[in-house]
Amino acid sequence: MDLRDFELIYKKNRIEIKDKSKIASKLSKIVGNENISTKEVDLLAYSKDSTLLSFNWEIEGKIAGLADFITWPDTAKQISEILKLANKEKIPVIPFGEGSGVVGGAIPLYGGIIIDMKKFNRIIKINDANLTVTAEAGINGMNLERYLNAKGYTSGHIPQSLYTSSLGGWIAHRAAGQFSTKYGKIEDIILGMEVVLPEGEVINFKTVARASTGPQLDKLFIGGEGTLGIVTEATLKIWPYPEKQTLISYAFPNIENSFEAVRQILRTQTYPAVVRIYDQFETARHFPDIEEAKDRVMIIFVCEGNSKIVDVEESITRDICQLNSGIDCGEKPVNHWIESRFRVTETSSMPPYKIVFDTIEVASLWDNAAKVYHTVLESMNKLKGILMITAHVSHFYPNGVGLYFSFGGVPPKDTSNFEFYQTCWDTTIKAVVDAGGSIAHHHGIGINRSHWMNEEWGKAMNTLRQIKKILDPNNILNPGKIYVDTWGGGDT
Amino acid sequence: MGIEETLKKYSWMAPLLQRADRETRSTLLKNFRQRKKNFFPDKELHADVDNLIKCMLCPNMCRFDCGTLQASNTESMSPAYKSRIAYYLSIGKIDPIDPANKDFINLMYKCSNEENCKVWCPFEFSVVSLLETVRDDLTNAGLMPDYLKPRIKNLKETETIEDYNIYKTYKEKGIENIETDGSDEVYYYIGCEMMKFPEVVKANIAILKKAGVKFSTNLDKKMCCSGPMFNIRELGIAKEFAEKNKQLIESTGAKIVVSDCPGCVVALTNRYESIGVEINVRIIHIVDFIAKLIEDGKLAIKGNIPDEFKTITIHDPCLMARNLKDNSSIRSIISKISGLELKEPIFNKELTHCCGWSGTLHWADRKLAIKESQNRVQELKDTGANNLLSACPLCELGLMYGLTENDKGNINILDISELLIKIL
Repeated sequence: MDLRDFELIYKKNRIEIKDKSKIASKLSKIVGNENISTKEVDLLAYSKDSTLLSFNWEIEGKIAGLADFITWPDTAKQISEILKLANKEKIPVIPFGEGSGVVGGAIPLYGGIIIDMKKFNRIIKINDANLTVTAEAGINGMNLERYLNAKGYTSGHIPQSLYTSSLGGWIAHRAAGQFSTKYGKIEDIILGMEVVLPEGEVINFKTVARASTGPQLDKLFIGGEGTLGIVTEATLKIWPYPEKQTLISYAFPNIENSFEAVRQILRTQTYPAVVRIYDQFETARHFPDIEEAKDRVMIIFVCEGNSKIVDVEESITRDICQLNSGIDCGEKPVNHWIESRFRVTETSSMPPYKIVFDTIEVASLWDNAAKVYHTVLESMNKLKGILMITAHVSHFYPNGVGLYFSFGGVPPKDTSNFEFYQTCWDTTIKAVVDAGGSIAHHHGIGINRSHWMNEEWGKAMNTLRQIKKILDPNNILNPGKIYVDTWGGGDT
Repeated sequence: MGIEETLKKYSWMAPLLQRADRETRSTLLKNFRQRKKNFFPDKELHADVDNLIKCMLCPNMCRFDCGTLQASNTESMSPAYKSRIAYYLSIGKIDPIDPANKDFINLMYKCSNEENCKVWCPFEFSVVSLLETVRDDLTNAGLMPDYLKPRIKNLKETETIEDYNIYKTYKEKGIENIETDGSDEVYYYIGCEMMKFPEVVKANIAILKKAGVKFSTNLDKKMCCSGPMFNIRELGIAKEFAEKNKQLIESTGAKIVVSDCPGCVVALTNRYESIGVEINVRIIHIVDFIAKLIEDGKLAIKGNIPDEFKTITIHDPCLMARNLKDNSSIRSIISKISGLELKEPIFNKELTHCCGWSGTLHWADRKLAIKESQNRVQELKDTGANNLLSACPLCELGLMYGLTENDKGNINILDISELLIKIL
């Protein structure tokens, strides 16, 4: 069999490696014979991430990208040696965690060497006095959280991808969990890191609660998406496992009322761990049994932590919801969310019907959050082939929100699913930019949004490109992402 | 889900569909009608293509608890990827006949049958149950991997999976054989792998005797339950053995069959039923039976547990925990033993992790099975207990492979019966 019989989606700019056996032999010397593969059964396994269109490609027998070598190092030194070799031979290197990314960040666009981080799966220590856990970056999120729970703690970082994502992936894509309104995003949780730079140097950022030691250089690697370095170890904040959880839900007449209620709650410095606003379509979809929510906008809250504080938070939350015309819907909607939040079936159910769908999360300050919401819906509804465009809002700050759009449709005649997918993405992102929002909240840039980076960053993008060039002069680390117009056509 | 419920669940889509233009609606309708034509094989297969598609398109929601993935640390071992390859083999995208594709076929057998995936699956199926449907097609096409063939040969020649009839070793191992007179209360059905642990078999015989149970072992007539043949899908031989076992069991007159091997219990019940062989007696694990004997006062715990066995942890066999759904019998027995300190592992009961020796992974990839075993032993050692207690010969065998050189002599792997007999 030859994997080249599978249609390759990203085939431009692939590098030609003249003497693959020589490179394989050098890689073997670094990681050992058992930790490198050029077998097709392995190459195919690393040909995609969880970008939603890749599920359509999968059932159609297409491959998103194809690497030449898969490696499984288990020390920072081995990663360092691989990177030194890759620089010498000018071969791309793509870090791969659990493959749960949804913007193409782990797809080997140009071929090259995959560094699978799964062997970096050790929990090094819990420090109860400091409330920290130190773990290697390849550890699966659920396995980290289960361990912490068993020891009486939580990291508070519970994304929907918890079961399928890694600590390194969270850091690379600046992730957010469903409990982020209380515990923060990953950039609020990480306190220290070990990073292997693109040319192989291993650096450490000391674990500190806060410091004043010059610029926060460590932040450069949170959201670097494996283009500026490979994070091998990190120290995270943890919390005692919450002693109490209170479940609250209210239904509101419209999205504006719901935004206003949450905004007012946060202004009182009340931070429910979970706050989720479902627009009218999503309310109808998720809560068909809740009569009070018919044609309304549902908000669910989970307050957790110390029981006395939770009681106060509950009281404030209820008061403000009622002041903003909220109707109490009880615990049932929240329990429904808790029971179904990891039951992901959409990726399995849509592609067999050739439905193209995805979710796009973006950010906005409070004063234009409703505008971002309405602008995206209006723009997307004009697209031919669109069946649905809905939103929920699930990450909140005193100053703004993270909105999460879901779309689905079928490509119009003579349009490929990839073209339709790109049109949907670009339409949404353009609407967000036009309405004054920010193009990504917690999934990152990858391939899908890289052509919007100039728009988002302005002149600062030049600085970011210069930093990339200094750290990675041969552009070997995860090329084709963030800095490059891989899709094209998005910049205005 | 009933029609009414389904309509209610999807009622939110109605206004969206109404709003869509005619071309979009028509394309969608066509896609719905042509799903099978577009993506299903055009020939009749055993492969459960519908569910394979669901599994392969899932973002691997069970990956964190998949024993083979966690042991191998390779994406190629992820459950959704196995289903993806199974799908490609079924539709011919990967040609199963091409010898160059051997790695893809071998992958279909690299699962330890632990069914942890089922606990987390949004569709509530286990990946191995899907892979077995593909193995059926491979068996029918004569494409079963060569390394499995000696096992089939063994079964045909020795009636056990070993290259000798392990039951015939009972005399040299000092195991008493009790022949049936056709009026037994209980048939003690000894698993062939348990013959590798003669002290456990002897303990079980002693326990049953102490409780005054009338039972037989019939070791001269005993043969494999053929459980492994269900895993590798050699169902013709499995059926032959199922019928012979049924005959043997029925010849004892026993109302209850108790086995020391959860694999045997599953084979004699669910597996046999799946090929149309039903044995109309109660078939349970011996731990379940012993727990009831203690409960009913037929067994009295008298002695004190020796110091070296006072700190224990439990390795719940996955077949017992998830398939037979019995986590309580072993704990019920332990709770009756005074002076015993039980240290539960983080992953226990229905969330137990595999020892590596469930199913036939150790035939498909022995190194991987041993790594899985090492992972599990580490979890058990993390409890601080020096006695790893279980109730399955395959687990006890698997865990032994997981011990380090340093563990040997410091860590004991015990069957619950071995512990119990010390204090009866």
